[in-house]
Amino acid sequence: MQVWQEFRGNTGGLVGAAFIVALVVASLVAPLVVDQAGLDVVTATGSPLEPPSGRFWLGTDESGRSILLLTFWGARVSLLVGFAATLLSVLVGTLVGVVSAHFGGWVSAVLMRVTDFFLVLPALVLAAVLMAVLPKSMWTLILAIGATSWPTTARLVRAQTLAVEGRPYIERSKALGGGHAHVIGKHVLPSVLPLVFANTTLVVGGSIIAESTLAFLGMAGPEISWGSMLDRANSSGAVTAGAWWYLLPPGVMIVLVVLSFTLVGRALETVLNPRLKGDR
Amino acid sequence: MTSPPPLLELRNLGVTYRSAAGDVHAVRGVDLTLDKGETLGIAGESGSGKSTVAASVLRLLPKSATVTGEVLLDGENVADMRWGRLRAVRWSEAAVVFQGAMHALNPVQRIGRQIAEPIRLHGTVAGDAADPSEAPGESGAPAGHTAPSEAEVDARVRELLAQVDLPPSKARSYPHELSGGQKQRVMIAMALACRPRLLIADEPTTALDVVVQAQVLDLLGGLVAEQGIGLMFITHDLSVLASTCRRIAVMYRGEVVESGAAKDVIAAPGHEHTKALAGAFPTVGDPLSRYAPATTAPLPETTGPDPEAPVLLSARDLRVHFRDRTGATVPAVAGVDLDVRAGEIVALVGQSGSGKTTLARTLLGLQRPTSGSVRHDGEPLPTSTSALRAYRRRVQLVLQDPSSALNPRHTVYESVAEGPRIHGLDGDERERVVAALEAAELRPAEDFLPRLPHELSGGQRQRVVIAGALALEPDVLVADEPVASLDASVRGEILGLLLRLRARLGLAALVITHDLGLAWNIADRVAVMYRGELVEVGDVEQVLLRPQHDYTRSLLDALPAATADDR
Amino acid sequence: MTVSTTGEPAIDPDERRAGTSTVRYVAGKIGGALVSLVFVVALGFFLFRMIPGDPLATMTRERPTGAEQLAHLRERLGLDQPLWQQFLDYVGGLLRGDFGTSYMYRRPVADMIGERVWPTLLLVGTATVLAVLLGMWLGVRAAWRRGGMFDRTQTGIALALWSMPQFWLGLLLLIATQGVFPSRGMSSVDTPDGAAAQILDVAWHLTLPCLTLLLVIYAQYMLVMRSSLLEEMGADYLQTARAKGLRDDLVRRRHAVPNALLPTMTLIFLQFGMVVSGTVTVEAVFSWPGLGLLTYEALRGPDLPVLQGVFVILAGSVIVMNLLADLLYRVVDPRVRAS
Repeated sequence: MQVWQEFRGNTGGLVGAAFIVALVVASLVAPLVVDQAGLDVVTATGSPLEPPSGRFWLGTDESGRSILLLTFWGARVSLLVGFAATLLSVLVGTLVGVVSAHFGGWVSAVLMRVTDFFLVLPALVLAAVLMAVLPKSMWTLILAIGATSWPTTARLVRAQTLAVEGRPYIERSKALGGGHAHVIGKHVLPSVLPLVFANTTLVVGGSIIAESTLAFLGMAGPEISWGSMLDRANSSGAVTAGAWWYLLPPGVMIVLVVLSFTLVGRALETVLNPRLKGDR
Repeated sequence: MTSPPPLLELRNLGVTYRSAAGDVHAVRGVDLTLDKGETLGIAGESGSGKSTVAASVLRLLPKSATVTGEVLLDGENVADMRWGRLRAVRWSEAAVVFQGAMHALNPVQRIGRQIAEPIRLHGTVAGDAADPSEAPGESGAPAGHTAPSEAEVDARVRELLAQVDLPPSKARSYPHELSGGQKQRVMIAMALACRPRLLIADEPTTALDVVVQAQVLDLLGGLVAEQGIGLMFITHDLSVLASTCRRIAVMYRGEVVESGAAKDVIAAPGHEHTKALAGAFPTVGDPLSRYAPATTAPLPETTGPDPEAPVLLSARDLRVHFRDRTGATVPAVAGVDLDVRAGEIVALVGQSGSGKTTLARTLLGLQRPTSGSVRHDGEPLPTSTSALRAYRRRVQLVLQDPSSALNPRHTVYESVAEGPRIHGLDGDERERVVAALEAAELRPAEDFLPRLPHELSGGQRQRVVIAGALALEPDVLVADEPVASLDASVRGEILGLLLRLRARLGLAALVITHDLGLAWNIADRVAVMYRGELVEVGDVEQVLLRPQHDYTRSLLDALPAATADDR
Repeated sequence: MTVSTTGEPAIDPDERRAGTSTVRYVAGKIGGALVSLVFVVALGFFLFRMIPGDPLATMTRERPTGAEQLAHLRERLGLDQPLWQQFLDYVGGLLRGDFGTSYMYRRPVADMIGERVWPTLLLVGTATVLAVLLGMWLGVRAAWRRGGMFDRTQTGIALALWSMPQFWLGLLLLIATQGVFPSRGMSSVDTPDGAAAQILDVAWHLTLPCLTLLLVIYAQYMLVMRSSLLEEMGADYLQTARAKGLRDDLVRRRHAVPNALLPTMTLIFLQFGMVVSGTVTVEAVFSWPGLGLLTYEALRGPDLPVLQGVFVILAGSVIVMNLLADLLYRVVDPRVRAS
């Protein structure tokens, strides 16, 4: 497709996409390659907070587990939460945005009021508070992040839908006799979805950071993720003890993943909105 | 004794743009001269290179453009000027009145300040022209001049506003508070601020109503004559040039294809393209252009309207009211009675803001009327979705801008097939599409099926839109400014198509336009709309040659006169 | 009938305008903000009642309590009332300045919040002002020479910073500066008395948390300013300005930047929610004794009354900032004033 052709020309986007694909494959393959005993506190073999050595390339954590192993394994939860929360957020946001822009009137007014309200609230605080009152698990985390990040997508989708709806070919479609389903299905969605997709990649980045931050605040589930690793690094005193090998790997991974998604997202936006070509 | 060099001379000017798609030769081998006090019109369509020529005079082209040849301003080559000298020359020697005064003014600065800006920059106020040997400094006058005082600047601004017939209080307005005509006057005042010797007007009246356009043209002509300024007037509308300029040069695809005295070029055009341009703007009252738009295919014989034909579409005391932001009621359509009979072409003529588009949309059922009735074939317009859909088969819409009327992602086939698909028409879909395309004179139809809109020309796109409407076999076509966005040479073709469709399919049409010439070209009857009401309705010959109403008369008066001599 | 010859209607600034008056606009916006505030309070209240289980159980987790004492406690805290009654009591309390009592510390929440407001204001204020200045300046320079080395470097740095979790950046800075800066708190116990010494001490403690907060939010502002200016640079009126003979940087400074500032400013105000979120994490990392740290500690309880109170205050402050953004925009953009 033409989009793919153009995307290929964008180095940043390509590098980002490659990294993401590699990471996803690695996480999927992980259960087959990783010796899960090494993840268990009880069966860990190293001594606490060993710096990197020939035996443990990235050193060990406060329970003697290999940090390399933990980081590799932690990708699964971090990515899963990132993707799932984004999916939830984008679905709700797109629905709200399209319905509000297409139907207008009081429906739109109500939806927009709700959206603006949630947009205004500091998302992290709201998510943290949600997690404080809900039982802490990966699924409630996904819910909390998804429920607090949909307004941005809704706003964006609404703006894009309004732009499309203003175009004469929509009027023409109605004049030809097209009803709501026809107009939305044949004209609005095909125009809006590509940009939604570009925005989605940016939302994933935000979700992953949110997951890590919430974990750091102690508001995540018990699973191993990059965020929870950082939380333990901080609260176990490893950081103050100077254990940089504990701090760097999960954080660097987060930065790389989010940066990759951001680059892919920006590349997609440039491809889909040729006006931006000179701007990036 | 050597005569002084002409004010502006272009010698073998060529401009090439570097773009991702390769080099684009926008201008090739253009030779033009303009003397002090002369008026030169440059006519051409979009893509002819006329705006590029204008921009090259002051080196306002983007970095991707390469200029060959010479642009001599008072004998001095613009390309050789150092940066400082160029900036000094800009505006003080030659000024530009830009197209689309909509956006050529800074929206967050008061216009008084914007007019004053070049005055302060070049340090010119009373009488004396700036000494352009020095570059203008930031604080105002070049070295050796005293900067004008605030009071002097203010006085000059007021003087300029008075010259363009604007009250001095307007200096404190922001651009969005002014109408289109007023903004254009501000642009003219601003251009005259530093007493330039050359004025370049690039499509200055294109977005304006006929009446406002006439005023601006008068103003421009008067000022230019008074102050002995050389004027270069650029537009696609040949009739406007006829009334404002002594000499005309016609550009086509980057080259000057014809030039000479305005009278001669208009009355007896030599080049094909000039003929097409001239034909696109027929003179009302000229029997040669009655029912005869400029088109290459043969036109059918046309007799006048048939008063016995059944009324297909009618509006009775139709009113459509909107609420504006403050809650006040705005009557867009204020009590309209209109009939469209089978097989007739009715032109609905009005300026922007007259309510004509709202009326059209209401007749199509896309807008609910506040009161009054719309009837089709005697039956009132249905309100239920399915009945409305059935109605849509009989009455179809053609929009103004064909490039945005088609979904850029759909092929020609899909766009034309959309209508039949919605209605679930039986029979072979492909046959229907091909038949519709052929009826719209896109032949061979098969070639066009897989194409996307951006691969087609403006005229071809409009034909696709018409084909889409024809695919439903309607009785009436409502066309909203069907040729306004098309190049002059293509207009005639589309108008001819409408006439031929009427002859072959008996298709009636309601054509909405601001252009009286269009009504003269193809309509049987005309309705003149002003502020929501129909002020005059009747046969075209009647209304346009013997107008009864003041407004109709003023519209006809505002049409550009035949030649500059007639003013 | 008289025929107007001016075509479109014009608005004469001398005439009384038919647009919304300033008073109506302001009243409308304030009304909207109040409605949002009410929603926030309601949301905060009902959110916490969502927990499965008994709030009393959380409170008395640490110490076993007899049934009688439980009943007594329940009555004293009003937990035996119907839900809507509790809500009204809560709202009444809020209006009086009573935010309830902390479960964990047995102190009035209002007092606890009051103690922590000033440190947070100091942190947020300093970081925001610096971030705005830095972000806008960098954004303007980057946009004007789009694609150049400066632009690409700055955009790259901004993107990288934006991809970093704030708390991680803070921890990195802590480790990297190896004890040069204090790692916790707002002031040290052993500073000598005297205003200068005290101020310096606080400033010293402020450096790292402020820097952390600054680094992430300036990136966002810079990117926004940059894209606003880039959008503006295609405008026609800039062509007019150049044709008048203006120098390049004058065209930018006098015409492009003021126009680009408008959407930038609004966006900056709207991003305040992001700043608030950032404060929570930064204060948590550096144990800066502000509202953020309070939230962090309360989350671990969970100390519901404190959380409720902090939530209302934080969300409320964002609403107020948005209100200010709307009002400021009206003052600054003449096009909005006319509508």
